[in-house]
Order: sequence, then structure tokens, then C-alpha cells
Amino acid sequence: MIRKRPYLMNTILLLTAFVISIALGAVFIPPETIFRILAAQIPGININPDWPNSFSAIILAVRLPHTVLVVLTGAALGSSGAAYQGLFRNPLADPYLIGVASGAGLGAVFAMSLNWPTNLLGFYLVPAGAFVGAILTVVLVYNLARVNGMVPMTTLILAGVAVGAFASAMTSFLMLRTDLQLHRAISFLLGGSPMAGWNPVIAALPYMLAGMGMLSISGHMLNVLQFGEEEAKQMGLNVDRAKIFIIVTASLTTAVAVAFSGVIGFIGLIVPHMIRILWGADYRRLVPLSILGGGSALLLADMLARILLAPSTLPVGIVTALAGAPFFLWILRRAKREVFW
Amino acid sequence: MLKIDSLTVAYGQKRVLKNITIEALPGEIIALIGPNGAGKTTLVRAVSGTIPTESGQIYVNGKDLSRFSTAERARVLAVVPQTRQLGGAYSVEQAVMMGRTAYMSWLGRESQEDRDAVRLALEQAQLQDFADRSIAQLSGGEQQRVLLARALAQSTPVLLLDEPTNHLDLQHQTNLLSLIKRLSIEKELAVLMAVHDLNLVSFFADKVALLVGGELITFGTPQEVICAENISEAYQTPVEIIPHPVTGAPIIFPQGALEQK
Repeated sequence: MIRKRPYLMNTILLLTAFVISIALGAVFIPPETIFRILAAQIPGININPDWPNSFSAIILAVRLPHTVLVVLTGAALGSSGAAYQGLFRNPLADPYLIGVASGAGLGAVFAMSLNWPTNLLGFYLVPAGAFVGAILTVVLVYNLARVNGMVPMTTLILAGVAVGAFASAMTSFLMLRTDLQLHRAISFLLGGSPMAGWNPVIAALPYMLAGMGMLSISGHMLNVLQFGEEEAKQMGLNVDRAKIFIIVTASLTTAVAVAFSGVIGFIGLIVPHMIRILWGADYRRLVPLSILGGGSALLLADMLARILLAPSTLPVGIVTALAGAPFFLWILRRAKREVFW
Repeated sequence: MLKIDSLTVAYGQKRVLKNITIEALPGEIIALIGPNGAGKTTLVRAVSGTIPTESGQIYVNGKDLSRFSTAERARVLAVVPQTRQLGGAYSVEQAVMMGRTAYMSWLGRESQEDRDAVRLALEQAQLQDFADRSIAQLSGGEQQRVLLARALAQSTPVLLLDEPTNHLDLQHQTNLLSLIKRLSIEKELAVLMAVHDLNLVSFFADKVALLVGGELITFGTPQEVICAENISEAYQTPVEIIPHPVTGAPIIFPQGALEQK
């Protein structure tokens, strides 16, 4: 059942996590009430509001937008992680580990130092800065890590760490030198406080849908690239065009996630890896499944972040790193035995 | 069918292939031989379009390939790469289906024609029973047949092979080359193949091109090209050549080894 119906399983998982996430908080709101409150929003449906007024405000203005943003962010990180892994032909590529997330963070903070987002226009400036930062970083890391047309694990991680460290240092420098709201910027970089309300959701949505939509259709290109660029070209793939398409869309998707939720590591590593183990490595399926799985995984991490030290909230980036770093080491040990996957 | 006309390839200032002219007709196997570094693999890569050429043309059915897009080229010319270890991500059928990339839209949606071509290619490479197996679980000889089937799925009139029998044992070498020989005749493929083992060449090739230092020394039938003089000179080691008692195909003995005895 689990192996045969991957889309169904992942959708059920995501919807379950979605409902639990809305239910959890300072006040527990039972799922049944959540459904009734949501249904009451649909025009033409009349439901007698037998719940406290505050419940619909909590759900509609706070928990629902927060949950939607977390799902979008996780989906973006999961799918761009899958795409980077395919592009680099390397199971350890993750937007965080290869420095792209840090590059996007630098771009975002740079944009914030110009204009901290107080209006909707400002919201669009931050992702643009993150996008430029992400693209520059991925191109730099890719070229630094490349040896004879291959991107070996060691050089990829080393280049990612070096470039990521440089970007983080530049980010800190920017935060100290400009009159940025330091506390908010730091907590943003930890994946701490996704901006509240519907504005970030509305601002992120078009980029996210475009980015993830384009990643979903790049599965065949990613499959063919697994045989190496030379063979991919001999099979008739326009390799340069495919690479640019994938780099731009994966970086766009990562950048938007970073711009609205901060630098969150390891989702792009763990999710595609689990899906590959359960449902195989065909990228035509791996990428869309990583969208669904990424949403569920980050929701789970976000719920833990809210529960563990309740009533205060941990930055979700800390939770993903605590779970992700051991996972990374496990993959590293496994990957040593694999020549090609 | 395949015509390579005065082809020159350079890496920076160094010319690694000089003025090569070779023609392959339908149903013909042309073997590229020569010592290490002679330019055999370079020639295969240049013809397949993976490295740029300095001058000269490559024609398939009279059409100049330099005007072709990547996909158009992959519809007339398929490459079987050197044997190597393939990992476990794809089934045999999935891997062979990727040979249809040049016919698919960039979404990679498979048409009935693609599925038919893959089924035929699997049959031709004797892999029909392996379709659902993971490529990582196959032996070296079977993996090489997957790469052959992937190239056959491209439905091209020309097939290029880059030392396809490296790392295969005697039985698998013979099987693979017999298969290629049969397919070249049945499908009227023009085959250009870089090979190391001269005895296999003399049995399976219709024509032989001897390359040394990037130059084409001679081009002709195995009997014409594989003679003691040519081979001793090209490989810088004395050899003795005797005709096979039944077929007359030249058989090569390194003389150094004979003297040791």
C-alpha cells in the first residue's frame, strides 16, 4: 500500500500534519471545529457558529497563514533539494549544505538593509535579493566544485561550506554595519520567526508555484543527466539549456523559501532521500513527491519547535538541524559504498 | 551513410586528430585501432558532437551534422559508451527509454512509438527478460547490453561504440561483437567502433582504420591493414601474423612473447 500509492500516501500525510498543525497551540482547537470554521468561510454554506469568536480569529488570521507558509517553505526546500541532487549527481546536495541558502540569506538581508519589509512592495524586494544571492552562490559553488566534468562529493561540500561561510560572514557584517533590526534579522536567519499573517503567503505564492511547477516538469531532464553530461548530450538532451533551467528554477524556489522563512537546513536533504529509498529515484516522480514530503516534514519540525519549549517557540532551523545533521552523517557513511545512484 | 571528411580536432594548440577521412556504408563495421593515445576515443567523441572540431565535416546520409541541433544529431547518431559500473537508480527499461530523449518533448512524456522502440531495442539486445531489473544488479556484460539497447532505442542509422568490450571477459566480448555484427547487417547500421583487441577486429570488422598519433595511417579491409609491417610499426613492437586456418582472418602474435619461450 505505502509503496504502491506514493501520491496518495504523501497527500494523506500532508493533510493530517496540516490539520494537527492548525489544532496545536496555546489553545487546542479540535479538528472538527477547524473544519467547521473553514467550511463557514465558503460562500453559500451556512454553519451555526457555536465556537468562541476568538477561535475563528486564531485560525484564520494566525494559524492558517502560518501553516500554509510552513508547507510552502518545506515544499520549496524539498523539491529544490531533489533538483540540486539530480543536477550535481550527488546525494548530499542540499540548498543549505551547498551554501545556496546562505547566499540567499545574504541577498535577503542585503535587501532588508535597504528597506525592511513593512509594506507589500518590500515583501517583493526581499525575495528578489535572495534570488540574486542564490543564483550567484550556486554558480560559484558549481564551478569551484567541478573536477573534470564531475562534481565529486568532497569538493562539492568543501566549496559549499567555504562559500556558505563567506556569505554568512558577509551577512553578519551587513547586520552589524547597518541599522537593521538586528534581533529580527538574526531570528530570521535561524528560520525563527516566519513573518506573520497573510502578506508573506500572498507575496511568496506566485514565486513558489512557478518555481515548484517548473521543477516538477524537469524530472526527465534530471533523469537523463544522471548518466553524465556527455552521455546526456549524446542521447539528445540540450544539456546547457537543461542545466540553466534547473539552476534558475531551483535557486528561485530556494530563494523564496529563505526570503520568507529564513535559512532552514536539511529538509532538502532528508526528504528526497527518504522518498528515494521508499519510491525509487525516477526524478519525474521524486520531485513532485518531494514537494508533498517537504511540506509534511517541515510542518512536523515546526510543530516540534512550537511544542518543545512551549509557550516559547524554538527557531525551526534548530529543530531541522538537530534531526538533519545525524541524518547527513548516516548518508555520508552509506554513500561511500555507492558508485552511482 | 557516415562520412567523415578531413576532420581535424585540437585541444588548445595541440592537434590530436589530423585530417581524418573515413566512410562507413550501411551494414558495415569500421574498427578504429591504434596504440593508446592514437586518438580513437577522441574520434568517437568528435563524431558524436561532444567535443568541438577544428575543421572538416561529418555527414550522415549526405547531411552536414554541424547544422544539426543536439536532438537532431541524436536521431541519426547513437553512442555506446565505454563499459563502466552503472548504479542502481533505474530499471533496465527506464534506462533504455532515456535513449528516446531526442524524440520526446522536454517534459519526457513517452509516446506509443517510444514504447515500441524500447521494446524492440530490449529484444535486439536480448534484454527482454531483464526489463524490470535494476541496472545495478546486472553483470558487466549485461550492463554493456543495456548501454547498447539504449543506443539502439535512438533508432539511428549510425552507431558509434567506444571500446565496448573493455573489462568484459572473452565470452562476453565475443557475444557482444556477434550481436553488433548481426544488428549491423539486419538493421543496415553503419558502425564505427574503437577497439583494442586486434584479433577480435580481424574477425568482426569489415574495414579497419589504423590511427597513430592522431593521423590515419591506413584504411582498408582487415587483411590489408593488419599486416606485420603496419602493426609492428604502429605499436612499436614486433609482431608475427598468420592467417586463420579456416577464415583466413589475420591472427596477431607479439614476437617478444614468442622469443621469451
